[in-house]
Amino acid sequence: MNGSSQSTSSASLMMRGLWYENAIVRQVLGICSTLAVTNRVLNTVVMCAALVVTTALSSWTVSLMRRATPRSIRMMVETLIIAFYVILFDRFLRAYWPDMSRQLGPYVGLIITNCIILGRIEAFANSNPPLPSLVDGVANGLGYTLVLLIVATVREAMGMGTFMGLALPLFSGPLWDRWILLVMPPGAFFTLALVIWGFRSIGMMRREET
Amino acid sequence: MSITEKPWYPLAYMFAVTAVFSGVLIGFSALTQDRVDRNEQIFLQRAILIATGAAAENTPGEEISRIFNERVEPAEKDGIVEYRLKTLDGRLQAIGVPFEGQGYWDQIRGVLGVNADRKTVTGIAFYQQNETPGLGGEIVTQQWRSQFPGKTIAVGDQPLRILQAGQTVGDNAVQAVTGATQTSVRLERMLNEDLRTWQTAFTGEGQ
Repeated sequence: MNGSSQSTSSASLMMRGLWYENAIVRQVLGICSTLAVTNRVLNTVVMCAALVVTTALSSWTVSLMRRATPRSIRMMVETLIIAFYVILFDRFLRAYWPDMSRQLGPYVGLIITNCIILGRIEAFANSNPPLPSLVDGVANGLGYTLVLLIVATVREAMGMGTFMGLALPLFSGPLWDRWILLVMPPGAFFTLALVIWGFRSIGMMRREET
Repeated sequence: MSITEKPWYPLAYMFAVTAVFSGVLIGFSALTQDRVDRNEQIFLQRAILIATGAAAENTPGEEISRIFNERVEPAEKDGIVEYRLKTLDGRLQAIGVPFEGQGYWDQIRGVLGVNADRKTVTGIAFYQQNETPGLGGEIVTQQWRSQFPGKTIAVGDQPLRILQAGQTVGDNAVQAVTGATQTSVRLERMLNEDLRTWQTAFTGEGQ
């Protein structure tokens, strides 16, 4: 991987999380939720916001506590911290945005099992200072967001003819026959596969140039 | 030997960490409990008011509670509940009939509104569903629900029908959502079951 010299400057962390080591495209992590919540762009945005916040804060907290935490029980502590932030977010939605909470249903709670968070904690936050860990969490969350937004936009536009619930000119017109399959779960597999293929092809072209 | 190397240290550490984090969560839950309870109530209240035509989709939560407390009274008979909407001078204006049943993915809960004549439908609203977005989930859209007002509930086996595309919809029928056969069939079934029990329980009232 090109940019993976162990530099911890914020810019390099951001580039790695967003592109060179993008959790979904490069590592194919966290795709369960990629498949589940991407048929509406608005739901995806909220889900991604939850993931960015949780990954960043969990990484930061784990990093703060890393010297005090005994290695033998570190996984338990990490899971506890992740669960803490996820429940906090879930509760916040239920209290202040009940409609969204209803729509996302169990998926917010399932962020606890999102591989990206534990992956970043184990790979980075465990052995780095709090601030870079926070940046690393944000970067990886945004990398996830980038891919999910592309998938969600394709699915909602071609499957429902809308974007964020607003009708799109071509796709909601009579000329476009809505691809119902894209709204259904298999649609996410096809779209995600194409996105990963596209991203990796671009990456490969870049590598040949350098 | 430093404290972190003591054999009991991991245990004590885990206890302490758990206590702190759970403490914060419990505190936050307690703090927001009233709000969450109110939100849950408002879901049902909003559905009743929308179905009976007393509120719009975008009426804010506080307004919903206010109208509901002012004008709606629940009435119970044989264990069946209906919600009676009164006009401002106290006459019966419309009735919200709650219904629920298993949808394609999850429980569907909603309210069907009928006029004081107990026959003419004023509207329908849902306050819980988890159908496929874009397919069965379309039942919550205004576009689909706008088929209901003005329909008449029939007496008999199937008070209201949800028909597949192509069939002509009569006075007591609406068009199903295309591509969502399962949701439509199940919704029709739960609507009819709950409407029948409601008709039986409240027969002779206000006819």
